[in-house]
Amino acid sequence: MDINVLITYIPLYNEALLLTFKIGMLGILTAFAIGLSGAAAVYFKVPVVKKILEIYIELFRNTPLLVQLFFIYFALPKLGIRIDAETCGVLGLGLIGGAYMIETLRSGFESIDKVQSESALSLGMTRRQMFGSIILPQAFSVSMPGIMANVIFLLKETSVFSTISLMDLMFTAKDLIGMYAKTIECLFLLVVYYLIMLLPISVLGSFIERRVRYAQFGD
Amino acid sequence: MHNLGIDVLFKGTNMIRLLKGLWVSVEISLIAVLISIVLGLVMGILMTSKSKVIRFILRVYLEVVRIMPQMVLLFIVYFGTTRVFGLNISAEASAIIVFVFWGTAEMGDLVRGSIKSIPKIQYDSAYALGMDKIQVYTAIILPQTIRRLIPLSINLVTRMIKTTSLVMMIGIVEVLKVAQQIIEANRKASPNAAFGVFAVVFLLYFVVCRTISGFAVKLEKRWT
Amino acid sequence: MKKNLLNKLGTIITSAALLGASLTGCGSAGAENTAASEDVTIADAEVAKAESAEETATVYRTLDEIKESGTINIGVFSDKSPFGYVDENGEYAGYDVYFAEKIGEDLGVKINYVSTEAANRIEYLQTGKVDIILANFTVTEERAQEVDFALPYMNVALGVVSPEDKVIESLDNVGADDKIIVISGTTAETYLEKNYPNIKLQKYDAYAEAKTAFENGNGVAWANDNTEVIAFALENEGYKVGIPSLGSADTIAPAVTKGNETLLTWLNEEIETIGKDNFFHKDYEETLLETYGKDYEDTLVVESGKVQ
Repeated sequence: MDINVLITYIPLYNEALLLTFKIGMLGILTAFAIGLSGAAAVYFKVPVVKKILEIYIELFRNTPLLVQLFFIYFALPKLGIRIDAETCGVLGLGLIGGAYMIETLRSGFESIDKVQSESALSLGMTRRQMFGSIILPQAFSVSMPGIMANVIFLLKETSVFSTISLMDLMFTAKDLIGMYAKTIECLFLLVVYYLIMLLPISVLGSFIERRVRYAQFGD
Repeated sequence: MHNLGIDVLFKGTNMIRLLKGLWVSVEISLIAVLISIVLGLVMGILMTSKSKVIRFILRVYLEVVRIMPQMVLLFIVYFGTTRVFGLNISAEASAIIVFVFWGTAEMGDLVRGSIKSIPKIQYDSAYALGMDKIQVYTAIILPQTIRRLIPLSINLVTRMIKTTSLVMMIGIVEVLKVAQQIIEANRKASPNAAFGVFAVVFLLYFVVCRTISGFAVKLEKRWT
Repeated sequence: MKKNLLNKLGTIITSAALLGASLTGCGSAGAENTAASEDVTIADAEVAKAESAEETATVYRTLDEIKESGTINIGVFSDKSPFGYVDENGEYAGYDVYFAEKIGEDLGVKINYVSTEAANRIEYLQTGKVDIILANFTVTEERAQEVDFALPYMNVALGVVSPEDKVIESLDNVGADDKIIVISGTTAETYLEKNYPNIKLQKYDAYAEAKTAFENGNGVAWANDNTEVIAFALENEGYKVGIPSLGSADTIAPAVTKGNETLLTWLNEEIETIGKDNFFHKDYEETLLETYGKDYEDTLVVESGKVQ
């Protein structure tokens, strides 16, 4: 491995890391927003919305992100809907992530004993108060490990962005290999940068998981 | 129909090629899952081992699988191994290796979980009946574990099928690559082919994965 | 719980180290050289190169080995019409493929086509995944250090195509926020990065993706081999090649793994021999005529490896 090659490539990888992280985070935030509102709608059994959400979840959980991105980025413009690459990345990640987040949060909501919501209502709380101060905080902490797993999954999925011309980590590596054929250096940096991005989150995830388990079972 | 570019799929053998491409994905996933189940059983048992060293090594392995995108692993196995070890692994073999690497970790973790969930009293009674360790595992523990694993492994199949969309990047001609080839060959005659073809690919993935995961849910309900 | 966290951190450090080690293990020869290279850099660089050549020496198959196995692996494009693509019956076709068929026929072996992307071409040869790359591979100095080129069979330069209503005739006129589409691993990409570092590039892996994105209006122009962009403008309405020739006049040639002398010699002889029967003119007429018409035949085709 040539150290000089590594040093010349590092700035490019830094740039790619920033872009990957930026789009990843925006996508995750979108996913979380979709997840929270979707799960709430399912929890309150909002009539039509619930059905639509079911179809949405089925569609996006049963297809690969790559195919979804291809569809949004290459096929939709044929109908006159044009979305630039970055927005497309955020949207794609948000949509697939939203489907997973709804499922995670919904099972969190359902894990809270019915007695709690009934007692809250009988104490004179409104449904909104009950949801916001009783159900949500508890459901949130129960779902936390699942949410963290989704976050890692979504950040990993950013590796397919290269196909829609986003210069993420994966594309930078592939591109440099194609131009200068320094395969080993490029792959080495690729691994290192994914570790830099995902290890802290993975550690945090395990930490949270233990905290939640501790809160629930006290061991 | 013409404007949406779906018509190109009915030209020549295009549709059959697309389906064949899909079969490539399914085939890779099935082979990988079958190998993963076998290796995962071994791995799961090893994970319950008392040796700290073994448990530590396996944790490292799990962590790598958890963090590295499959696409990165594909590139490392396909291009990296030839560079490093001089081994020439075909694209299909590389894909299967990566999927097994991933599947074994997931299976192993599931096996460990279900072994742990079997009440200790069963071990104790089995030993009390005079069975040795191997007998206990093959006759008592594994049969119960495998039963729990089947729905989960079917689930893994669908996730792998979804991930096979990446193998296009290492030159395997699967459904997405065939889609691109069709779009390219018909660019002039059918400029909107990108819409029709990608929409059909989207639906194909959906139908396959939905059917398989629906089956998994059914099995899970019946067996638990 | 604290112990768990420590354990986890330990895991992480070792996993990083292990991964690092597994990747560096291979390059250890090179690394040693770097360490010792302070005084005689050039000599050492050469040693390193010789060593890396040695490393890959086992990778390629000689002419005899290919003949013995009965199959040759040829890397071609599968989405670059009219040079290398797959027709509606699932058969490979195009200018490059026509030549590949001839190679298979004259060697007396079956052909196994490997679908390649632009950025993978060097990699495929260096890792021995294919015996020959016949994927519209432009000869450049940088590439010649990594692979061995045979005699050329086509002329090429770079070209830029843009929509008719907003033709780009000079790269100096590209707006600061306008993006030019290129394909990763092509000469157009390297050329623009080197000579026009301020132009924003939008890079795609595959020809099909780049063309669809261009049609969809994701970039103001598409820069590629001029053969490609001319074909695109001829085949699709509403586009014009504003810059028909850019950069140096280059050639396209088959490439083999560095050091594969036997195959290279055979290929060169083959190109010279079939050139006597004007093979590549026939190739042009079979595969490219429909797209380019008669006009480009003599400018594009190189016969017997002799550039006019």
